[in-house]
Amino acid sequence: MEGIIAIWQRDLMKFFRDRARLFGSFTMPILFLLIFGGGMSGTMEAMMTGSMPGEADRFNYVEFVFPGIVAMTLLMTSVFSAMSVIEDKDFGYMKEILVSPISRVSIAVGKMLGAASVATIQGVLLFILIPLLGLSYNLKALVQVIPFMFLLACALSGLGLLFASLIRSTQGFQLTVQILVMPMIFLSGALFPVSNMPAWMDVIVKINPVTYGVDIMKKVMIDTENLSATVLDAMGLNITLFGRQITIFEEMLFIIIFTIVLVLLATVSFKRANA
Amino acid sequence: MSSIISVKDLTKTYKKVDAVKGINFEVEEGEIFGFLGPNGAGKSTTINMICTMLKPTSGSIVINGYDVKKSKDKVRGSIGIIFQENTLDEKLTAYENLMLHCRFYQVPKSERDERIQEVLEIVDLIDEQKQRVETFSGGMKRRLEIARGLLHYPRVLFLDEPTVGLDPQTRAHLWEYILKLKEKKGITMFLTTHYLDEAEISDRVAIMDQGNIIAIDSPKALKDQLGGDIIELSTEDNDQALKEISEKVKEAEVTVNDDIIHLKVASSDAFISSFIKTLDIPITSLNIRKPTLNDVFLAFTGRKIGQTSE
Repeated sequence: MEGIIAIWQRDLMKFFRDRARLFGSFTMPILFLLIFGGGMSGTMEAMMTGSMPGEADRFNYVEFVFPGIVAMTLLMTSVFSAMSVIEDKDFGYMKEILVSPISRVSIAVGKMLGAASVATIQGVLLFILIPLLGLSYNLKALVQVIPFMFLLACALSGLGLLFASLIRSTQGFQLTVQILVMPMIFLSGALFPVSNMPAWMDVIVKINPVTYGVDIMKKVMIDTENLSATVLDAMGLNITLFGRQITIFEEMLFIIIFTIVLVLLATVSFKRANA
Repeated sequence: MSSIISVKDLTKTYKKVDAVKGINFEVEEGEIFGFLGPNGAGKSTTINMICTMLKPTSGSIVINGYDVKKSKDKVRGSIGIIFQENTLDEKLTAYENLMLHCRFYQVPKSERDERIQEVLEIVDLIDEQKQRVETFSGGMKRRLEIARGLLHYPRVLFLDEPTVGLDPQTRAHLWEYILKLKEKKGITMFLTTHYLDEAEISDRVAIMDQGNIIAIDSPKALKDQLGGDIIELSTEDNDQALKEISEKVKEAEVTVNDDIIHLKVASSDAFISSFIKTLDIPITSLNIRKPTLNDVFLAFTGRKIGQTSE
């Protein structure tokens, strides 16, 4: 247990010391907020509310996309923070960890928690932008959403960890991750609703943990209770699986199982690395 | 004396290559054990297997009473390893590196700070503990790694080429620290090095070549086995000189290495005065010395340690 915390804290400590990384990771979400929030909001609103003429003015695209952009930040930061595994291998520190009596599962869990914490912190930092975007979320909702953000970040860090434990070079990792991250964002409902996808794409949407993470975040952050069914429909916040609507609890369960499976796979890969 | 490491019939086969071909040896508690061999001899493979980093194909390794196959974690807790390459986290301070190590190895909380100061004192880094490791020189980093390897009071300390890449002065210093350590802690040390003069501090050395251990004894016994003195000689025409030597000199063993003629004789004092008179070719240099581990190594493997096999 202490091994897990030590590995976790080390990654957090290193994150706070690396100011360039702290600020650098802000640029991408801000860029997306500018493009999707500022530039495309009119078009998106027109497209998404086309079917509900009466309620168009009750729908705000920026309010819809903000949680999506936060989720995107979680995805990018989680996966890229997992790259610390490759850096540790390159700089030799992984050897120090691997020859110590810490169990291999603890190493994977510690690394996963480290990356997930860094990602969650980055995600929460984006909340600073809320007033600047002219949005107003319920403060309670913002606090409530943080554990869900962390949960999603754990799943995505697990994914990053698995790739990092399999790939040897940082370049190879970055390339693989680019290919992986973009579809995960676009096919998650983070930036636009994914309710009317072709069947094969719908399968990807439904196995993508970001889909469920984003859905939970939107449901918690956006005041969904006061929105009519048509608006919810336009937002794509009524994901169905096998013909029935999925609950937040089931979505959480999916993310948790996804996390556990990936961390175990990463553990196996750690064991192999030195077996 | 009881043995702290016991290796039996250890083999490692990669696909079709036998890297380690069934070796046996014991390391006694408290000794410095030198492990020598040319590149590609199977040294690193053997060490990695002993340190739980590599799975043996067959055979058994017992360290501190724990079987490496069955109780990896116990073995890991009983050994400290100083790797050839740097394995410190350079973005953290010396103190932070040591504290992390304490946590990885479950050093009791109440003892951590005391032990950190203790090992820092051994390697003379007390005043630098709050500095980031990236500001350290190569020698300081090495010392810090040695300090770190001692924190959990390992029964055996593995030093894999600990002085590689350091300047001669730093190397000499480092050995002072290592010897001080042995005196203070009575810790068993398992050492590999390319510098054979450094291996002289070992109580016993094992020489490995092509996957086998070909000699294992104290440096003195190994050197005595060669016997006598060594005369290194170069002349204006080595080929001619060799011919003359083989005709006129019967009591010396002759070998040639790097254009230098080596003569091994029982006693140089009696031999040299008559030898110089017998040789007609002008001598350009002459050196008489006792055998070193280098000569032992050369005699056993036919190569100098820096040369690769094949």
